[in-house]
Amino acid sequence: MKRQEPLFRIVKRDTARPGQQILAYVAAVAIALVIGALMLLSLGVDPLDFYKRIITLGIPDSKFPARIVENFIKLFVPLLLTSLALALAFKMRFWNIGGEGQFIMGAILASVAALKLGGTLPKPLMILVMALCGMVGGGLYGVFVAALKVRFNTNETLLTLMLNYVALYLLRFFGETAGEWNFFLDPASPRPKFIKFPENARMITFDLGGFQLNLSLIIAIALCVLIFVYLKYTKQGYEVAVVGDSPNTARYAGMKVSRIVVRTIFMSAALIGLAGAFSVSSAGILSASVTNNVGWTGIVVAWLAKLNTVGIVVSSLLITVLQFGCQNASTTFASIDANFADLIQGIILFAVLAADFFTRFQVVRTKSTKEVSK
Amino acid sequence: MNNSIDVLTLFLFNIILVNIPLLYGTVGEIVIEKAGSLNLGVEGTMAVGAIFGYLAGCAANSLVVGLLVAFLAAGLCGLLFAVLTVSFQANQNVTGITITTFGLGLYFFVGKGMGDNWPAMVEHSALVEGFAPLNIPGLSSIPVLGKALFSHNILVYLGIAIAVAVWWYLSCTMTGLKLRSVGENPGAADSVGVNITRYKYIHLVLGSGIMGLGGFYMALNMSGSFEGSNCWINGYGWIAVALVIFANWNPVMAILGTLVFGFFNTLQIYAGALAGAFPNALSWLNAVPPHLFKALPFLITAIVLIVSSIRAKEGSGQPAALGLNYFREER
Repeated sequence: MKRQEPLFRIVKRDTARPGQQILAYVAAVAIALVIGALMLLSLGVDPLDFYKRIITLGIPDSKFPARIVENFIKLFVPLLLTSLALALAFKMRFWNIGGEGQFIMGAILASVAALKLGGTLPKPLMILVMALCGMVGGGLYGVFVAALKVRFNTNETLLTLMLNYVALYLLRFFGETAGEWNFFLDPASPRPKFIKFPENARMITFDLGGFQLNLSLIIAIALCVLIFVYLKYTKQGYEVAVVGDSPNTARYAGMKVSRIVVRTIFMSAALIGLAGAFSVSSAGILSASVTNNVGWTGIVVAWLAKLNTVGIVVSSLLITVLQFGCQNASTTFASIDANFADLIQGIILFAVLAADFFTRFQVVRTKSTKEVSK
Repeated sequence: MNNSIDVLTLFLFNIILVNIPLLYGTVGEIVIEKAGSLNLGVEGTMAVGAIFGYLAGCAANSLVVGLLVAFLAAGLCGLLFAVLTVSFQANQNVTGITITTFGLGLYFFVGKGMGDNWPAMVEHSALVEGFAPLNIPGLSSIPVLGKALFSHNILVYLGIAIAVAVWWYLSCTMTGLKLRSVGENPGAADSVGVNITRYKYIHLVLGSGIMGLGGFYMALNMSGSFEGSNCWINGYGWIAVALVIFANWNPVMAILGTLVFGFFNTLQIYAGALAGAFPNALSWLNAVPPHLFKALPFLITAIVLIVSSIRAKEGSGQPAALGLNYFREER
């Protein structure tokens, strides 16, 4: 019986090649921008002008450039923290796609603290309580799935996905249901509307000559450093790496894999809840669209960064520029939707996913038996 | 009293009319998941199928062209998923979510880019007539049930036919058996000569195409009116992902599941009308927040997931290799 052998086969590469990887990334972004430019041209929009407006974030045309940077930071911090947290879960091959839900639970619980205790506590203490509530809300919502995963091998991808929507409709319920009991709403408004937080529940800012530096940015960057050190230099961080690589190896080495997974996922989900708490505190109000899709975008960011902490800072910054910039640019060009950022983001990730293949694998020509006999 | 019967009839009628796209999405996703791929791009795939199918259907003034283009456009999303996850071994979760992001981005880009050139459905007779209800002679004159079950547009029946056909294909044909083996244990399937790559490619395109038909349906059901802020698909793609689990990966059960999820989905809109029509029996409906009905499909699915994993029962239709990439050298 003759069987046709394929002309080539695919083998894994042993060595990482950082130079090529960077090249692949630059190429991916370039491809996305070129495709984006062609699409913009098809609608008669000058791509260079559009891209310029994205990169400059509209600062040159603005009367209040400081305000633009402040708003940019309000978008950047939640995305940074969420991506960082998701990468922590993905490192253990725990596919937490429940970032949206954990974020919402954090935001809701932090809002409860703000509305119930607001006015009674001094500001720094109030912010601390809100942060803790956010972490508990997000953390419990995530750790519950992790516990089921290690105990019963429940599919965490699908379960966290379902819980996103449970959380979302809970949030909408609070936002759209008028009632005596509903302290989330503004009693003065005839239509259901979230009430603003008291002044002492709003995020602390430092005045730097007209620019209000948001405390959450400083904390987020500090957390990045902490996580970097945690993963690289501590015993627990090492355990995360081993379990992610091979749970069986970890078990053989005497590690309590279940405990490590549950602990790490709690940390991950709590960080996302913290992002939710920071987000509502910075905005000073809860909102039905509080997540701004960071649960989804965070997955993209974490993946673009190859789950690397430094990479996450860079890629979440770039993705925020893209999103924020597109929003700004689309106000100038009526025919372009603000979701154009999603399109570009999608193409970048597709290109990166494809390029990853060539850095991870090698295509080898199969030697046919004839060639060998010659 | 007649009036309240009318409300009930309309409620039952709408359960089917509004929720059939869920069936298309679910059956498409079942085909894909049975091949061992978890494609979370349902929402985006449906959106792409919807907008291109609708525009092509209007341009050609033909329902068939619309269906065909919707199938092909969504099929291309499936092809993209296949290239990335099967050939390039990319992570399926990330790829699927990116397809959703990308698909919705493309949807809004095309829709908003069309601007004033956006075609109105009423001006395209073929689409209006194609989506008009067909009264099945005899059956449609049964009171209540006739209107609710037997006077729908042709795409409703097409969706049910596809679900039954896919069920037959999966459980009664040799190719279907091989397909299931790819989802359960690709290594074993490969060793007996099943071409894993070909099976995954074909079924990813096929399944995505079916989702695209559902998207096209939604476009017609929304009378083809493009709104800048809300996508036609409006989360149905995600409900479909949930429905696959609820239906235990069985296309015929998916019909039943569509009715159950559709019941809650439509109840949320009709709760007030039903409570008004039957004040004695159903007035409690007014007290239930609509958000509960919205959340129920996801809540039920979460519970199904948890319970079935605790019981670890044999009968679960979840493919064993779901979401795992197959790399031959690691067999």
